[in-house]
Amino acid sequence: MAKLTLKDLQKKREEVKKAITLREGGPYKAKVTVHMGTCGIAAGARKVIDAVLKEVEKSDRQDILVTTTGCAGLCSREPMATVELVGKPPVKYIDLTAEKMAKIFKDHVLGGKTVTDYALAYGSEKTS
Amino acid sequence: MSPYRLNLMICAGTGCVSNKSFQVKEALDKEIKKHNLEKEVLTVMTGCNGFCAAGPIMIVQPDGIFYQLLKEEDIPHLVEEHLLKGRPVKKLMYTPPAEPEPIPKMADISFFKKQILIALRNKGIIDPEKIDDYIAREGYVPLSKVLTEMKPEDVISEIKKSGLRGRGGGGFPTGLKWEFARRSEGDKKFVICNADEGDPGAFMDRSIVEADPNSILEGMTIGAYAMGADKGYVYVRSEYPLAVERMKKAIQQSREYGLLGKDILGSGFDFDIEVIQGAGLFVCGEETALIASIEGKIGEPKPRPPYPVEKGLWGKPTNINNVETWANVPAIINWGADWFSKIGTKTSKGTKVFSVAGKIKDAGLIEVPMGTTLGEIIFDIAGGIHSDRKFKAVLIGGPSGGALPVDCLNLPVDYESLTGAGAMMGSGGMVVTDENNCMVEMARFFLNFTRDESCGKCTPCREGIPRMLEILTRIKQGNANMEDLTLLEDLANSTKDTALCGLGNTAPNPVLTTLRYFRDEYEAHIKYKRCPSAECRELVSSPCHYACPIDTDAASYVALIAHGKFKDALDVNRLANPIPSVCGRVCHHPCEVKCRAGEIGEPIAIRDLKRFVADWGREKGYTPSLPSGPKKDGKVAIVGSGPAGLMAGWKLAQMGYGVTIFEAESVVGGMLSWGIPDYRLPKDILKSEIDDIRAAGVEIKINTSVGKDITLDEIFNQGYKAIFVATGAPHNLKLRIPGEDVEGVIDPIEFLKNYNLNKEAKIGKKVAVVGGGNTAIDAARTAWRLGSDVTIFYRRTRPEMPANVEDIEAAFEEGIKIEFLTLPVEVLSENGKIKGVKCTRMALSGFDSSGRRRPIPVEGTEYEVEIDTLIPAIGQQPNLSFMKGNSKLKTTSWNTLEVDPETMATNVPGIFAGGDVVHGPATVLQAMEAGNIAADSINRYIRGEPFEKEYKPLESVMKVPPVELTEEEITKEMDRSEMPSLSIKERNGNFKEVELGITKEQAMKEARRCLRCDLESKGVKQ
Amino acid sequence: MKDEKLVEIIQAHRGEQGALLNLLLEVQDKYNYLPKEVLKQISEEMDIPFSRLFSIATFFKSFSLTPRGKHSVHVCMGTACQVWGGQRLVDKVGEELKIKPGETTEDLNFTLETINCPGTCGLAPVVVLDKEVHGKVSQKKLMKLIKETEK
Repeated sequence: MAKLTLKDLQKKREEVKKAITLREGGPYKAKVTVHMGTCGIAAGARKVIDAVLKEVEKSDRQDILVTTTGCAGLCSREPMATVELVGKPPVKYIDLTAEKMAKIFKDHVLGGKTVTDYALAYGSEKTS
Repeated sequence: MSPYRLNLMICAGTGCVSNKSFQVKEALDKEIKKHNLEKEVLTVMTGCNGFCAAGPIMIVQPDGIFYQLLKEEDIPHLVEEHLLKGRPVKKLMYTPPAEPEPIPKMADISFFKKQILIALRNKGIIDPEKIDDYIAREGYVPLSKVLTEMKPEDVISEIKKSGLRGRGGGGFPTGLKWEFARRSEGDKKFVICNADEGDPGAFMDRSIVEADPNSILEGMTIGAYAMGADKGYVYVRSEYPLAVERMKKAIQQSREYGLLGKDILGSGFDFDIEVIQGAGLFVCGEETALIASIEGKIGEPKPRPPYPVEKGLWGKPTNINNVETWANVPAIINWGADWFSKIGTKTSKGTKVFSVAGKIKDAGLIEVPMGTTLGEIIFDIAGGIHSDRKFKAVLIGGPSGGALPVDCLNLPVDYESLTGAGAMMGSGGMVVTDENNCMVEMARFFLNFTRDESCGKCTPCREGIPRMLEILTRIKQGNANMEDLTLLEDLANSTKDTALCGLGNTAPNPVLTTLRYFRDEYEAHIKYKRCPSAECRELVSSPCHYACPIDTDAASYVALIAHGKFKDALDVNRLANPIPSVCGRVCHHPCEVKCRAGEIGEPIAIRDLKRFVADWGREKGYTPSLPSGPKKDGKVAIVGSGPAGLMAGWKLAQMGYGVTIFEAESVVGGMLSWGIPDYRLPKDILKSEIDDIRAAGVEIKINTSVGKDITLDEIFNQGYKAIFVATGAPHNLKLRIPGEDVEGVIDPIEFLKNYNLNKEAKIGKKVAVVGGGNTAIDAARTAWRLGSDVTIFYRRTRPEMPANVEDIEAAFEEGIKIEFLTLPVEVLSENGKIKGVKCTRMALSGFDSSGRRRPIPVEGTEYEVEIDTLIPAIGQQPNLSFMKGNSKLKTTSWNTLEVDPETMATNVPGIFAGGDVVHGPATVLQAMEAGNIAADSINRYIRGEPFEKEYKPLESVMKVPPVELTEEEITKEMDRSEMPSLSIKERNGNFKEVELGITKEQAMKEARRCLRCDLESKGVKQ
Repeated sequence: MKDEKLVEIIQAHRGEQGALLNLLLEVQDKYNYLPKEVLKQISEEMDIPFSRLFSIATFFKSFSLTPRGKHSVHVCMGTACQVWGGQRLVDKVGEELKIKPGETTEDLNFTLETINCPGTCGLAPVVVLDKEVHGKVSQKKLMKLIKETEK
């Protein structure tokens, strides 16, 4: 990767935003984010992400983005994951296991229906 | 009314701003002007809606149309279509789901509601291992701005203007420190990020590094530019492997993009960063020690001055800031000092990240505006105390901080207020403790930590800390005296004043704050050899034994039940308690609150086990023989046959005294007989245990009202040497609201008494009960059984209800409605008969001295409810008519008797008092405790011995060997045994006992779950 | 005896300012402790007085000069874990393995140590078993972990 100039950085930002933001006509229709800080991992997040990856493979869908992120803040309810579908607010799931994640994948990611039993809330946190 | 036809509310939260909501607003304003709509349409920037992922968002009011993911280029079309032609642009609209999501909004979840994210702005959103994700969230925009538009001095003045202060603990103004570093002479300068999170109870630095390492790198680069440094170090604890890995990866990616290294972004500015791993020492969080360890020396602090900004790493000017401080920098540059300084308090600007852990429901990482109160953090955000136990203290600032009690819950958190309270901000670690955590032990724990971490270079720290530790250990063991407390305080103050570095200066803080706020706990250890939290194992036989106010050795009888030795288990019960069948049903079981199996998991069902052996014994016809001493000279009179009187009488009879109980009613037992309904405590069971007490030598005279049939003086004249007054608190308190003196407002005590004694009750169809104690719940459940529709009004919330948890749950199950945060304000009537009640809704405000939130009426929420019966059960008072003919007894303003709490002696020699008549309505067990103490004092009084006793640590009554557990029992969490009970249908319309008692198999299985704390402690007789 | 891998590690850090701690941590990772010979070799290769290496290796807590067991049981003694009864977990595992903190079982299978917080306080009490963090560890869960590791 070549070093960036100011202009490159600007361009890069637009590109990346376009690539990772879910929108109609974009490359991705759904995004699953697993929270993988030390807490999440200690609570079993690796099993959760393995389950997601397995389900993605089974589904044979190319338009599902699986990604990881850091701690979501609510350590005592880890493992956590966030599911977002195009045009809909993200839904945060808590206290996950591989089995729960597989169900969420089928019902929510593929079926579009929030699994209310495992969900904490929808939407995002407030920034200032 | 807005004079505008349309209001456009554009979100100005960080998330939306980073997605260019300001640019969107500019574009909107431009278009609006172009179409001459300025007088009709107003654009407003609003606070965060929480839909950050869909930002920038805009809500058009009054239509309520919600646009998402807006871009500048969308605006001309949007303005023309929607604002001009009135046709909302569908493709830009957020379409709410067909059915509303059945789950709450993130921004409404209490954990997230009060948070504002600046340092954590990317938390849980970006992939920390991909720099692209960071760039997409406006990452490196601030750096670009700094490198192209700002001179180093501008950067420093912006940071100064923002009011940012060091987030690592000291709170030194960051901009000022940068200015010093900039002005320092040096051919080379360094910046360091201190991620050596030494506070063993804090994890915000780890989380930030793990979640968003680039924000730190960008902050450091901006700082380096401002100060003229070309090299930076991130010092991370090696205990944080993931943080180290992610930080290294972020540095690698930044270098590849040219965001670190030579000629950053083509600006000519050179700067690079390396990761150094700390190797497990708290003192290295101190900046001079940290510098020494980077230099490859042992991490010992040096005296300051010179400060690192003058002479730091390898003798060069060095600026050290902690993780959170650096992470704030890009945000301040991006959104401006004015924006930042609007958040927070007068002296502490912006937000603070806290890691909140310990005995709370929702542990985690939070970011709140400075000035948020401790109570809001602990109760609103972190969900309150685990298992609804009592809050004791919050430990802030780790080993350098302090323990702040209930009285500090209303304290707004900022640097000054915390220091004023004796703690310090520290890096933001908060650990919450509950009633089961001993504050002496907490102080010892922290000092033990600082002793191990002290580098040993200066004397006050090297010698002072171990001496304090010795004293604390003596206190914990019950081997200290009151002079030790003074010595401890002196040592703490002198170490604080004379140690060389921050570690030694602040190490005494935990001792000083616990002495300041929890002196009673220290005194309990020293004077009474008691650890109120049942934690100090040198003093505690076992927590459950210890928690029992009448010293029932639950650990031993539970162990005996596990062995199947039920008879022995019952004997252990009977040693302390004459009415185990009663207590096995109605006790509020403080033993279970202290049970350590309940720390992570469910406590042992101790009360159910007690009931099991008591019932087993009664069914088997087994009456235990009791130790009885030789007959003693002297008769004792007891006034009242409730639990206090029965306990005192039983104890005194065992000592050999002749005991007579005078009971005004026609039945024996006081509240036990006419206050507690049959479905909780069947009368035959109570009667059988009262018979046992009679058999032990206690004479009970019913229908004899002291004050009416006989006076206290006459009792003395009959040759009684002492009198124990245990008349309870049977007078119901009024609501003191307009209109309550009408037909249909009934006294719960009269109601319960009438029904329990005479099976008579006048009750309507629609009943409201006011209150949250056991009397309120009993009245409600009785009314329900009589066929009424019952609602309880309680002015606080569920966790504050003083009634037994089991009974509250049962009331819910039976279909009794409980309206929380509701207070009746007026009784409505017609022709002298109640027809309804006017209520107001309450809201919880600040915390009172008990740690509960004060309920205050919410204006304009009054509403009326139609009812035909109102039962106010908000409290009771003693009836002091027994004093007739003897008014020398001292009373309090609460209309209770005044006694010495250690002896139960009143001001009149020979008269003792205890139970509800002294402390107001309380539990059966508290009454029995008073009876127990009074019996001992009466014995001393009659024998002419001094009241002062020598207190000794409590010891187990016997040593029961452990049972052999199966592999499964050793390694698997077992569920608590469930109490079999009548179905709701089976309960309706009758007063059959609801709880049926656990089976023998259940009991043995449950008892085998016990962790046997009694075996680990030193209180066992060998 | 010259250890090739050791030479490699030393080479990798040579000339890097402020890297001594990083180097020692990496070396310890390889040997499981810091053997005296290895420290001597580092001293020669890096031209650092042995006495200085020794003082660093004894000053910082992460280093051990004695061999450690195959499995490491690190019980957290941070504040949150203390509040949740971390001390009782140390006692329990010590009783089970018949060793005290800082000691290694005779069969060199387990080393028991107390640590000051891996930063997962939200999951307290915490035990780090072979570098893997386990949260909300009850006495029973701890026994299960130990027994599974033994197998």
